[in-house]
Amino acid sequence: MTIENTSLKLPAGVALRLASLTDLDAIMVLEHDCFAAEAWSRQNMEAELTEPHTYYLVLHDAEGAILGYAGLSKLSSSDQSDVQTIAVSPSQRGQGFGKILMRALLDEAVARHAKECFLEVRADNPVAESLYRTLGFEQIDVRKNYYRPSGVDALVMRLDLRRYAPVVLGIETSCDETGIGIVRGNQLLANVISSSMDEHARFGGVVPEIAARAHLEALRPTMAKALEEAKLTLDDIDAIAVTNGPGLGGALMVGVGAAKALAVATGKPIYAVNHLVGHVGVDVLERGELEVPTIALLVSGGHTSLLLVRDLLDDVELLGETIDDAAGEAFDKVARVLGLKYPGGPEIDRAAADGDPRAIRFPRGLSLPKDMAEHRYDFSFSGLKTAVARHVEVAEASGQSYSKADVAASFREAVVDVLLTKAVNACLDHNVPRLLLGGGVVANRRLREVAAEQCEKHGIELRIPAFSLCTDNGAMIAALGAQLIMAGRDPSSLGFSADSTLAVTDVQSL
Amino acid sequence: MRILAIDTSAGTSVALIDEAGRSLGEFDSPDIMRHAETIGHGIQQVLDSAGVQAKQVDAVAVGRGPAPFTGLRVGLAAALMFGVGRGIPVYGVVSHDAIALAELDGVLDAAAGVPADTSSGADQNLLVLTDARRKEVYWSLYRRALDGGQPVRLEGPGVQTLASLQADLADRQVSYLEAAAACRAANLARVLLTQLAAGNASEDVTALYLRAPDAVPAKPKQVSS
Repeated sequence: MTIENTSLKLPAGVALRLASLTDLDAIMVLEHDCFAAEAWSRQNMEAELTEPHTYYLVLHDAEGAILGYAGLSKLSSSDQSDVQTIAVSPSQRGQGFGKILMRALLDEAVARHAKECFLEVRADNPVAESLYRTLGFEQIDVRKNYYRPSGVDALVMRLDLRRYAPVVLGIETSCDETGIGIVRGNQLLANVISSSMDEHARFGGVVPEIAARAHLEALRPTMAKALEEAKLTLDDIDAIAVTNGPGLGGALMVGVGAAKALAVATGKPIYAVNHLVGHVGVDVLERGELEVPTIALLVSGGHTSLLLVRDLLDDVELLGETIDDAAGEAFDKVARVLGLKYPGGPEIDRAAADGDPRAIRFPRGLSLPKDMAEHRYDFSFSGLKTAVARHVEVAEASGQSYSKADVAASFREAVVDVLLTKAVNACLDHNVPRLLLGGGVVANRRLREVAAEQCEKHGIELRIPAFSLCTDNGAMIAALGAQLIMAGRDPSSLGFSADSTLAVTDVQSL
Repeated sequence: MRILAIDTSAGTSVALIDEAGRSLGEFDSPDIMRHAETIGHGIQQVLDSAGVQAKQVDAVAVGRGPAPFTGLRVGLAAALMFGVGRGIPVYGVVSHDAIALAELDGVLDAAAGVPADTSSGADQNLLVLTDARRKEVYWSLYRRALDGGQPVRLEGPGVQTLASLQADLADRQVSYLEAAAACRAANLARVLLTQLAAGNASEDVTALYLRAPDAVPAKPKQVSS
């Protein structure tokens, strides 16, 4: 039987399944190996496996041999759950199997609506105690002479499951998307986006005032949809997270004002988080945790940034960013030059489909040796946009026709080339074999192709989250807020500001 | 009945009043640049000073402006989400109405009607003026007496230069007293109380910007000389 309620990623060659009575013999062998004189009787174990309120898992290898087992107890009448037992075969220790079993039990405890989880651990077992502490358990009591016949003390430990897997509602209003997302720990529950993109179309780019007005109007309906999608009420939410920068000032202020009032009204803690770091942190929703270090390339209509992330919450470094237009903005402006619609990215992708990317050699901004000294990881797209406009004007002025497809393909190639060259350089320079992409421009097909090619060529692992998690969204803000809570961070105060130029080093504003 | 009132048409003003219109707590910050920073503490302080928990609030009144864009939205967003957070109704009130109420309440006895004005004999109106920036004013014209405790808005709110407004009113021989003050949230809540009593309270919380966003449709620019 397969396991539900967990987003755990297992190492190759092992799997989890529910334990059944057919496992009893194998379990009893392990029980005696692990606990010797303190082992449970076969009768007790059989009862445990068949109780309706228990949940027993076995971890097995490809041949079905049982490497470990663990059990949880949760009465439906109680908010509390207990880890009954956990064992990993002595020959299989040191591979993280204990943690896998524990996390699977805790995920189930959360799914069964437990608010707390308790366990006892031998006072002379520091390895197990340390594992429980990394999962957030804290010692609350000692039971003297608990284990028989040895007389060893038991430490009683408790985990607040709202800290292990907090339900967080995230509000994102930094640009033209009103995003409200809900997560439970690393699990995505809802991701609702209301975009004002269409209202900006005739202006050829995001108009900050139009975006901010649209946020105000979208707040209530977007919130209602998010709660409905998650099948929750506000009472189920443990904390609120909100983007407080960087982004458009007036737009950010709508989300900040909304989140603060929601926090006061509901009495929930509030976490002010960084938009750009949110784009990185979103990976936990698909992979359980963020593998670090990683380089992150964030490309949208508002940002073009290269980050070196050594730790999601404590060590995010800005390697470089655009010194003029964002990449998405360049797509919009060139689309306009070519008489294409807004937003420019998909239009240029379409126009470029039949074009030759090598037809015109457009300039690669900040890529000359002299620029690379000072701006190795910075970007510039303003000159490229002007070069495209000049190419088109010259052709039109001389009465020649030009190939829109070739111009679009060559322009796109120049943008993608610079983005990926610099991102791969960052990986190689810093000896970081991972690249994470984020931002709306990730939708660009050529960008994804070249990223895949370049990363494969250089042995870099490429991560591209689902598109709905790449564009601006509230789920990534909720996910980052949940990470802060799981790390035991204090909430923000009510006095934080909306900061349009917030630095990436400020992951949380207090 | 307790009404939480929020207005950010000028500074940040928050108040809690009871069903008799008595103020239970007030917060006022004149800073017109720090609404987003101030709003959370403002609401929390008002509740704390009144000794009232958020769940004991029954309705929210919010100032719809008129006001310049950015700050106004903070109060509206906060009011909407306070309402969502508690599952209580949010009523929109024109901020000028609260200013008019403050001016007229006590100045004139509504039951007695409009007293004869001995100086000109014609000052039957009240003109509420607030700063609209860009050398313009937001204005609303009220009858100089309350009706059933409610201010009676005759015209507005509108936005234009003070000179053009004055010329227009002079042309039409409309006489008035001017009132230029910031909206206090407590008065906003008192306006709502009279509206609830009269059955004309509204859940329309549309912002009164009175100006279109500053934006012009894009045209490609010539780049070659």
